[in-house]
Amino acid sequence: MANFLILLILGLPWLGALLVWWVSDKRSKAQTVLAVLFSVLAGAASLMLIPFASESVALNIPLGGAFGDFTFVADGLGVYLAVIATIIGSLAVIFSVDYMRGEAQLGRYYALVLFFIGGMAGLVLTSNLLLMFVFWEITALCSYALISFHSDDPKAVYGGIKALIVTQFGGIGLLAGALLIYSYSDNYDLQAFIANPQILPPSVLAVAAFGFLVAAAAKSAQFPFQTWLPDAMEAPTPISALIHAATMVNAGVYLLARFYPAFENVPGWREAVVVVGVVTALMAALMALVSNDLKRVLAYSTVSQLGYMVYAIGAGGVFASQFHLMSHSVFKALLFLAAGAVIHSVGTRDMRQMGGLGVQMPLVRTVFAIGALALAGIPILNGFWSKELILEAGYTHGPLWAWIVMVVCAGLTALYTFRCFWLVFAGKPRSSLNGHDAGTAMKVALIPLAVGAFLTELLAGPFAHLMKSTVPSIEIEAETTLLVLGEVVTTPLTLVVLAVVALGLAAWWWREKLAGLSSALAEVGRAAADSFGFEVVNRGIVIGTNWLAEKLRHTQTGLLNWNILGIAAGFLLVLIILVIGG
Amino acid sequence: MTLSLVSLVFIAVIGLLAIGLYALLVVRHLIKVVVALQILAKGAILGFILAGRINGQIGLGESLALTIIIVDTIVAVIGLSLAVQIRHHMGTLDVNALTRLRR
Repeated sequence: MANFLILLILGLPWLGALLVWWVSDKRSKAQTVLAVLFSVLAGAASLMLIPFASESVALNIPLGGAFGDFTFVADGLGVYLAVIATIIGSLAVIFSVDYMRGEAQLGRYYALVLFFIGGMAGLVLTSNLLLMFVFWEITALCSYALISFHSDDPKAVYGGIKALIVTQFGGIGLLAGALLIYSYSDNYDLQAFIANPQILPPSVLAVAAFGFLVAAAAKSAQFPFQTWLPDAMEAPTPISALIHAATMVNAGVYLLARFYPAFENVPGWREAVVVVGVVTALMAALMALVSNDLKRVLAYSTVSQLGYMVYAIGAGGVFASQFHLMSHSVFKALLFLAAGAVIHSVGTRDMRQMGGLGVQMPLVRTVFAIGALALAGIPILNGFWSKELILEAGYTHGPLWAWIVMVVCAGLTALYTFRCFWLVFAGKPRSSLNGHDAGTAMKVALIPLAVGAFLTELLAGPFAHLMKSTVPSIEIEAETTLLVLGEVVTTPLTLVVLAVVALGLAAWWWREKLAGLSSALAEVGRAAADSFGFEVVNRGIVIGTNWLAEKLRHTQTGLLNWNILGIAAGFLLVLIILVIGG
Repeated sequence: MTLSLVSLVFIAVIGLLAIGLYALLVVRHLIKVVVALQILAKGAILGFILAGRINGQIGLGESLALTIIIVDTIVAVIGLSLAVQIRHHMGTLDVNALTRLRR
């Protein structure tokens, strides 16, 4: 049964993608119906997979021994992430019905979205490293193609290409790590590797571990690769929701969580993971504070929250990080889709032109407020529980300085979230924008997410239980919802964090009285607005590569005989090396 | 001195590969290039048969040889049809003249 369901989870979106592609763009209604149908069916299939979760191989596609068998394992970690990818993905598809209505080339849009969802589900369910790399690159390709969906807009094309190039660094890291593991263990089975990482000599294991860290950092937009995610905001908003909440960026955190048991004893690896997470969370929070673009604020907040998850893994709180991933998926999808409703209705993303939209769009205001409160970590919403869990894990197992920075980040999160909400929905209108409330399909996508932001913390118990019974390599203490949530309620740390969060909210409230402080911090704000110089570095690398390519152009004569000579010489060189090297 | 069948075939493989490579190095006529590629491919086919024989995996060698036969037929067909088109458009079959396609 489990093998059949896995085939459905992968097959349904991809079959849907083919069908949507096959139906011509003239029948965009049929395309929309097909896309919604297949994504919802895939979501249902992944929900049905939960009871069948186990650590044994559920689906095995033999490939004649060349690359190992293509195996799929539906363990707790994989199943939960597949559920997130397909459910949030299908909600994004439903939202697109309203958002993308009347756009040209809907076939390309929906086909890529479905391909994306299937690719992500495959990535989390496979237990073959090579196949994982293939799925990893499928998600990179789809994100590139969807970010630059409006291919006549140069900014969208730029954002897409940037995302592709930056995430390719991660692809190289993953491939290098996978090949290293293969060269020592002679198979691509990642369960066997995680159970017995000593197959690799310590130095090689360290290289693989840091290769995977690079892969995760590039995919999840962590320091120093964080620059691609904000530029990816040129995508249609449902795509942003998909990339930020369901597919793409979760893959990096998943990779770290999956391989944490194998790499935790590599010297310096956990510290490096903590540093990456903390630096990212702080930097992104500061950038979110000074950005005036509604979607960019949300993008930076994603980067910052991903920093929390990476930090949690470095501190050993794998469950906390995956739990926060789930909460984050729900409230970030909610925030993005609500922001999409706003942008769709007023036609701009600049928050300075908005203001007072709450009166015109009461439903969107309400759901955005719920998402914002969850992001800020206000009690009883899911973001509060998971963030506290991360900070608790960080306090007990991680370094103290990192914990302090992360608590400050929690305050900053509350501050920028509140600022964003205030600028968009509250106050007086700053220009003559006319908003209208969300359409039916938008409501169908928004309301379940808003309810989810209140309720997903109740899944902590089942999630922990499933992880404990099917992923034995990851240590989990509490197993029921009450125990997990009780841990948060009883610790005094929660009060400290809540106080800082309240301070963050108060800082916005008294922003005029704090004018002296904010002018003192103006330099930091300016640096944050310039993304701390990372764009300059990026541009430098691009210019350098162009210069080098221009210099190397002369070697490309285009003359057949010279090229053959080059091939023959290269072949001889390889032969000589083989002979000498024995 | 007598040569075994294996070494005879081995010499033939090396000879075919060498002729094909040499031809690719010196010819400029597009149809001759296709012919040279064919000679190279035939050498490779023979090489795979020989390798299968030496390793005792004749079936594997034969199946790879069959694959190459298909691939190199496609190469010949597409190469020659391109040659026809190029002659039609550019009036020459000199491959060095085709560098004009750059940019």
